[in-house]
Amino acid sequence: MNQLKPARRPTVTRGFYRKHVHPFYETAHQAKTDGKPVAWVASTFPVEVLSALDVIPVWPENYAALCASMHASVELCEKAEKEGFSKDLCSYARCVIGSLQDSPSLPENGLPKPDLLVASTCACDTHMKWFQVVSQRLNVPFYLLDAPHLTFNRHGEALQDYHVKFYVSQLKSVIHLIETQLGTELDDSKLKEAVKLSDHTSRLWGEIQAYRKAIPTPMGARDAFSAVFFMLSMPSSHQAIEFYTLLRNELKERVANQFGLLENEECRLVWDNLPLWFDLGLFQYLNSLNAVVVAETFSHVWMGELNPSKPLESLAEKYLLNFANCSIEKKINLMVTFVKEHRADGVILPTNWGCRMMSVGETLVKEAIAEKLNVPSLIIEVDSSDWRRYDEGYVKRRLKIFLDMLRQTKTSR
Amino acid sequence: MNSSSAFRNLLLKKDEVAERWKRTGRPVIGWTCSYVPEEVIYASEALPVMIFGDTEETTLADAYLPVNSCSFSRSCLNSALKGKYRYLDGYVTSNSCDSRNKIFDMWKHHTEIPHFYFINTPRTRFGDSRDFFYEETVRFKAFLEETFGQAISDVKLREAIAAYNENRNYLREVYALRRQSPPLISGVEAVEIVLSSMVIRKEEHNELLRERLSDISDQANPPREGLRVLISGSVMDDTRLLKVIEDLGCNVVADDLCTGSRYFWENVESKDDPLKAIARRYLGKAPSSFMVDQEARIKHTMAMVEKFHVEAAIIIDLKFCDNHLFDAVVFTTAFKAAGLPVLHLEYEHSLGGLLQLRTRIEAFVEMVRGVV
Ligand code: SF4
Ligand code: SF4
Repeated sequence: MNQLKPARRPTVTRGFYRKHVHPFYETAHQAKTDGKPVAWVASTFPVEVLSALDVIPVWPENYAALCASMHASVELCEKAEKEGFSKDLCSYARCVIGSLQDSPSLPENGLPKPDLLVASTCACDTHMKWFQVVSQRLNVPFYLLDAPHLTFNRHGEALQDYHVKFYVSQLKSVIHLIETQLGTELDDSKLKEAVKLSDHTSRLWGEIQAYRKAIPTPMGARDAFSAVFFMLSMPSSHQAIEFYTLLRNELKERVANQFGLLENEECRLVWDNLPLWFDLGLFQYLNSLNAVVVAETFSHVWMGELNPSKPLESLAEKYLLNFANCSIEKKINLMVTFVKEHRADGVILPTNWGCRMMSVGETLVKEAIAEKLNVPSLIIEVDSSDWRRYDEGYVKRRLKIFLDMLRQTKTSR
Repeated sequence: MNSSSAFRNLLLKKDEVAERWKRTGRPVIGWTCSYVPEEVIYASEALPVMIFGDTEETTLADAYLPVNSCSFSRSCLNSALKGKYRYLDGYVTSNSCDSRNKIFDMWKHHTEIPHFYFINTPRTRFGDSRDFFYEETVRFKAFLEETFGQAISDVKLREAIAAYNENRNYLREVYALRRQSPPLISGVEAVEIVLSSMVIRKEEHNELLRERLSDISDQANPPREGLRVLISGSVMDDTRLLKVIEDLGCNVVADDLCTGSRYFWENVESKDDPLKAIARRYLGKAPSSFMVDQEARIKHTMAMVEKFHVEAAIIIDLKFCDNHLFDAVVFTTAFKAAGLPVLHLEYEHSLGGLLQLRTRIEAFVEMVRGVV
C-alpha cells in the first residue's frame, strides 16, 4: 500500500482543529462567561441574522462531529439511549442529548449553555424534535423557522414567490422573538454587512471547489471536511474570508504547478453526505489506493449567492434551495454537475443510519448518474458518528472492489 | 354478513371499491397524510383513498429503500410496485416527515400514476402559517380543477363538509362505545371502522355506520373485560398488532394515532368560506408529531386517557419514524406523570419479531395486573 505523504496536503488546512476549531469553542465559552448571548443553531438556519444580532452561534451538529472525531460520541449516545431515545435516531442528536448530563470529561467542556435555540425545517425532521428536547431539558426558548419543502413541478420549477414570502415572514417572526428576548433590535446595516460577508465567503469557497476540478486535484475530502467549518459556523466573519483566501491562493498555486494531492491519481470520486467523523482515515485509505474525492455535496450545502440589498429574500432563496430541502432531482442535478465538471470516475453514496434525509433516495441518485453519465456509484451503509453502525472491514472491501472496477473500465475505455 | 364484519370486508375489498368508482368515469386519488384536506378531493367528485401497505413481503421496495427507513412507507411503495395502485389517477402527500418526502420522489419515479401533488403543511397553526395553509388549500383546489376538469363550487364543498362531519360524528359515537367496561366494541373493530372510512365515499360509509350503530350488540364475540389500554403512535393501516394486544388480555379503548382519533376528532366549523373552514380544521386539529405544538398533542391524548378511563399506555412506534421516536420519551414521561404504566415498543410493519413483541406485551400486562 502506498503511504500518502502528508506534505502533499495543503499547508493551511493542517492542524485545523488546533488552529481553528478549538479556539472557536474557547471563544464561545468566553463569550458566555462575558454575558454575551449564545444560541445553539441547527445547520440550514440562516446564521447570518444571528451575526447581525450579535448572538454567538454554536452548532450541536459540529459538536457531535467533534466528539466523534475524538471517539467520545458513542459513550454519549449510550447515555441518551438509556433515557429512552431510540438507537436508530440520528447519532448527532443522541450524542448531544447525552452531553446534556453533567460530566467532567466532555470534549471542549461541552457546548456553552445556550440562551436560545434556533433551527429551521430545511434539512430534516430531527432538528426540530432534537431541539425541542434540549429546550425542555435546559429550559431555554426554542424558535423554529418553518420553511416549506420544495418539490419540482411539471415544468421543472421548484421555488415560487410564495415560498420566499412565507420564509421571510417566518424569519421575521423569529428575529422578532430574539429581539424581544434579548431586548435588542436588528440593525439593518449590520444585516446587510453580514449578508455581504457571507456572500464573499461563499464565493471564495466556490473558487476553492472549482480548483478541485483540476487534474490532478489539489485537495481531497479530508481537508474539505475540515475547511467547510468556516462556511458552516461563521460565514459572516473576516476570519472566514482570511482563511479561505489563503486556501484559495494555495490551491491556485498548486493547480498552476500541477501539484496534486496524489502523486499518481487514478480514480476521481464524488462523495455524497457526511464523512465518518470517527474515521476520517478512510479517506487516506482511498488515497492509498490512488483514489481521491474531488467533490462532496456537504461542501455545497451552505453555498449560495446573497444580495445585500435584499438580505432576507436572498437568505430565503439560499436556504430554501439547499438540496436537503428539495426533491431528489435537485440532488441529482448537483451530483451530475459534480461528476461532469470534476471529471469523476465514480460516486460514493454513504447512507447515514440515523438520517432518513441522507439515506432514502440514494438509489434514485445512483440510477440517474448511471443513466445520464454512465458512471457507477457505490452505496455504503455507514453512520456519521456511531461506529457501532459501521463494519469497517466490509466497507473497505467493497470500496476496494469498486475502485478495481473503476480502474478496469477506465483502461478498457 | 353481520354489520360488524362489513367494515373488515370493506378493507379487504378496498381495491375493488376503487376500481368500481373508477368505472363510473370519476378519478381515484390517493393521499398519504392526515393533513391532506380530503373534503376538497371529495368535492371534485373524486374518490379519496388513503394509501395503505399490505401484509406481504416487501421484496420489490427493498431494492430501492435502505434498511434504515420506515417500513410502513416501504410496504406502501411495495404495493404500488406490485401494480396494486394502478387505478390511481393522482397521489397527494404533505411534508409531514422526511421519509414521506423522499418516498414521494420514489413514487413519482417508479410508478405510472399520472398526477402528483405535494401540499406544504406548516408546523405551526397560527398567524402567517394559517394563511399559508389556506393558500396551499386554494392551490390544491386549483390543481384538482385543472387536472380533472371538474369545477369545485362552494356548494360542493359544503356538501363535502356535511358528509365528512357526519362521518366524524359517527366515528366519535363508535369510540364512545368503549367508555364503559367491558367496552361494547373491541379496539380492533373501532380502528377497522376508522380505516374503512378512508377507502370509500363518506356517504356510503355513513350508511354502514348508521346500520352498525343501530344495533351494537350484533357481533359474534363481544369484548370481555380487560386492561384498559391507550395506544399512541403514528399510522396503523391494519389491526394485526391491536389484535395481539387485545388477545393478551387488554381492551384497546382509546388511541392517539394519525389513523385513529387524530384523523377524525375535530369537525370542520363551517362558516362563510367553506375552503377556509376546511383549511382551519386541518391545520388546527389535534396535532401530529411533526407539528411544533407538542403540548397540544399531549393534551389531546390526556383528554382521551381521562374520557376513556385508561389504565395503561402502550406507545407503538414504527422503527425509524424519527418524529414519533423523539416524542416517545416525552410521552412516556407524560403518561407516568398521569400515573399510567407505559410500554414503549418499536416494530416493523411486517410484524417481524412478533414473538418478542408478544412477550414484552405479555410481561407488561402481568406487571400492571400485579400492581393494580
Ligand atoms: S445527520 Fe441527518 S438527521 Fe441528523 S441532523 Fe443531520 S440532516 Fe438531520
Ligand atoms: S410512520 Fe413515521 S416515518 Fe413512516 S410515514 Fe408515518 S410519520 Fe413518516
